[in-house]
Amino acid sequence: MEYYPLPQPEEISEREKEDAMGAYLMMFAAVAIGLPLPIINLIASIIYYYINRKKSRFINFHSLQSLLSQIPTTIINWALVIWSVTIIFKDDWKLTPEFWGYAIFAGVSTLLYFIFGLIAAYKARQGKMYYFLFFGKVAYETSYKIKPENGESQNPVNKPPF
Amino acid sequence: MTFEIKHAEQLSRGELLLRTFFGWLYIGLPHGFLLLFVGMWGAILGFISFWIILFTGRYPQSFFEFQVGLTQWQTRLNARIYNLADGYPAFGISATDDSTNVVIPYPEKLSRGTLLLKLFFGWIYVLIPHGFVLFFLSLGVMFALFIGWWIILFTGQLPVSIHNFIVGSLRWSTRVRLYMGNMTDTYPPFSLD
Repeated sequence: MEYYPLPQPEEISEREKEDAMGAYLMMFAAVAIGLPLPIINLIASIIYYYINRKKSRFINFHSLQSLLSQIPTTIINWALVIWSVTIIFKDDWKLTPEFWGYAIFAGVSTLLYFIFGLIAAYKARQGKMYYFLFFGKVAYETSYKIKPENGESQNPVNKPPF
Repeated sequence: MTFEIKHAEQLSRGELLLRTFFGWLYIGLPHGFLLLFVGMWGAILGFISFWIILFTGRYPQSFFEFQVGLTQWQTRLNARIYNLADGYPAFGISATDDSTNVVIPYPEKLSRGTLLLKLFFGWIYVLIPHGFVLFFLSLGVMFALFIGWWIILFTGQLPVSIHNFIVGSLRWSTRVRLYMGNMTDTYPPFSLD
């Protein structure tokens, strides 16, 4: 597999660095509009990715990494929201030790995500690559892998008879 | 900053009546619906920009251009709502319009001190004094709109003085919004010009 060369910080414009950094700050979207729903951050990341993905590979990489890394945090926090709502409306505020365990897990996960997100935003602002576990590889593959040109398929569908 | 709405020599009475009775349906509803979501996105970018300015002293250029596009869109819409221009306002943050001209220069550097000053004391030195004047100006605009509506209906023209007053009020509120939105460090003047 071939990949496009990675740009060095001095080759990346200020604007690209800012746009790449902005991708990670979408984790504050829910706070910005005052709707404390975990899905807002994910929606904001998706919108940001689709607006910016064609600007440059560097921006594409960071915004995709930010988007992908939002998914587990969103799922974990949504589960907490649903569990909390169930407790409030069905179980008469009965907070079980299991619930507390999960709430702490969700809190720590979100905190870790925020810390790594801020580090990534800082690195992106400096024009540097920063790879998250697993998501970094996927984002790099998607953004930097050289794909065949349009109409030039690696496995042609139409073949000669001999 | 440039904020202009061209004075129309002639305004259509048919469009005036159409806007008055059905404007909410064919202009307000589609534009309002889209602007609600685009405005939300603007709020998200504005909030994030605050933190970026705090740490870097710069408003991200892409975010800034988005906010400018949003302001231009709102101005195109306002020009029709306030009967300052005919025609249907174009959708989108990158659309253009012959009747309106809004240019907001990009500030290469923004003061972090001013940013914090606005955050903690903006309501004292910006919102209260400007809000006080803008409240009375908006009453004046409503009166001017009412008078202007009848003048357009009978003559097909909006007097330049009424036009300038409404545009000046819009310009004033836009300048306050830009200052409080951290898009400029220049304190908004108490002026319609």
